[in-house]
Amino acid sequence: MDEVFAPPGNAWRPVSPALARLRRVTLLAVAVVLLVAVVVAGMLAPLPRGLVALACVVLVLATIFGWVLIGRNARWWGYAERDEDLYIKHGALFRKLVVVPYGRMQYVDVQAGPLDQLFGVANVHLHTASPGTSARIPGLPAAEATRLRDRLTSLGEAQAAGL
Amino acid sequence: MTASSPEHPYKRLSPLTPLVRGFYVVVAFVVTSWDDMLRGDVGPIGWILLALLIGGLVFGTASWLRTKYWIEGDELRVDTGLISRQSRRIRVDRLQGIDIVQPLAARVFGLAELKMDVAGGGSSEGSLAYLPLHEARELREQLLARREAVREAAVPAGAAPAAPPEPERVIARLDLGMLVVSLLLSGETVGFLLSAVVLGVVFAVFGSLGGVAGVVPVLIAFGAAQLRKLLAFYGFTVARTSSGLQVRRGLFELSTQTIALARVQGLVVTEPWMWRGLGWARLDVALAGKTGSEGDGKPAASTVMPVASRAFVAQLAAYLLESASGHVGVRPDAVPLRATPERARWAAPVRRKYLSAGLDEHVLVGREGVLTRRIHVVPHARVQSLRLHQGPWQRRLGLADLLVDSPPGPVRLRARHRDAPEARRLLAEADELARAARRTG
Repeated sequence: MDEVFAPPGNAWRPVSPALARLRRVTLLAVAVVLLVAVVVAGMLAPLPRGLVALACVVLVLATIFGWVLIGRNARWWGYAERDEDLYIKHGALFRKLVVVPYGRMQYVDVQAGPLDQLFGVANVHLHTASPGTSARIPGLPAAEATRLRDRLTSLGEAQAAGL
Repeated sequence: MTASSPEHPYKRLSPLTPLVRGFYVVVAFVVTSWDDMLRGDVGPIGWILLALLIGGLVFGTASWLRTKYWIEGDELRVDTGLISRQSRRIRVDRLQGIDIVQPLAARVFGLAELKMDVAGGGSSEGSLAYLPLHEARELREQLLARREAVREAAVPAGAAPAAPPEPERVIARLDLGMLVVSLLLSGETVGFLLSAVVLGVVFAVFGSLGGVAGVVPVLIAFGAAQLRKLLAFYGFTVARTSSGLQVRRGLFELSTQTIALARVQGLVVTEPWMWRGLGWARLDVALAGKTGSEGDGKPAASTVMPVASRAFVAQLAAYLLESASGHVGVRPDAVPLRATPERARWAAPVRRKYLSAGLDEHVLVGREGVLTRRIHVVPHARVQSLRLHQGPWQRRLGLADLLVDSPPGPVRLRARHRDAPEARRLLAEADELARAARRTG
């Protein structure tokens, strides 16, 4: 893999494969709704057939593109716990890597919406005193998210540094 | 009506407080009704203002009667509230800074407002308005001394002995001429002059301002913004005190701000292009728990030096960082800065030449800006988090951005378009240094 986004020491830990599944289901749902809307509009309004067909093709292509992109993006999420900081990397196209020292964390959020719960995943969000810190890991298995939060909070307290 | 605990020797705000609060109504009343009053008659606006004034004075006096403050143990307690009573306790060890502000109306009566910056509190959390100036100063000293005592007691015995209180020492006084010149040498002035010239030409050619008359208010706004800065920065004085760096400024509205050196998160040296020939620069600091940005023409609360020679700004920056980190020999201007690679011009053709960054064992430094050059400095010990960004185009070029996160404020250190492996090395290095810095404190 890319040396610039290589893991610090040990390997990146991936997020749950359920994240890609969840996002693909959402994508399909949206695509189906749009497709139905286009077809219904094409039948009700006097629109040229070609235009409706073109819109359908574009929608299908966009969905396929999104499907592939979701897979790539989900594979690019990764995190590595070290003794004093957490590395998180993500983004297939716009690659991002963030390093958050445990001692700088203000609080840790674990959040899981209804859909997340259905797929058994949760999102972990780390906050520091800087709004720029965009340290979030989506699609962690629920048990792993709880474990990570507990570990982060206990380490954060132990290593807390003054502002 | 008894005081909640009568044994406390409580104090009251200045009895002139209602008058100061209603000062602008008094002025408005006098201004609008002056002619009418001379005729022995008061117009309808006058009556409304008079009613407002009397109502305000009655309310103000009642509220003044109900407001008491005293120091009890480690707390400053303030009882207020006319209808619903409030008792506020402010823990002295939570006080981040105490500022003395004198709005014009208060200054006329020799009064001042004591503004307390409470960690994690809103702006209105701690404010005592108005006190006689000397009383405000005394209370400020008292609170600061109490805070030191509390903080020392919290430190385990055998820790570093407290430094003896340092007498206040003025280290810089801004020259009025320099301030005026610096304000004149700004982008706003150029815009102002250009539009004024255009207006003049239009007037000379067409004999009337016609369609461009709408520019006039904009011109006035430009002038007003500069004037406001002049008034706010007038008599800018920086002094060293035992509790930090004290900044005093203002012509009509006097403000005294103490910058606790331990709260300094980073700093920015700004060099607008018109100052560069003169070798002038401005210094702003980022403080924890204070967001001061320069909006609507108002000067930023974070400004430590509105304008000074580059050498003096560097000296002041070094002093701030040294005291903040406890290390000697922190020289942000001596940090070796490295330029971006040649190929970065495909990502930032104009800016590339002005982008550079570097680090030493104490601080991270990033420089950017084509017209207004900014040098951001963040001590390793104050880094919140580090980020590496790479877009698709940057990946093609083998470049990446290194970003350093600080609390909200003027400091935003971004080392853009670095050689990608170098950016990653910098990230790892900065992470190591930050780790060491956090340990030593």
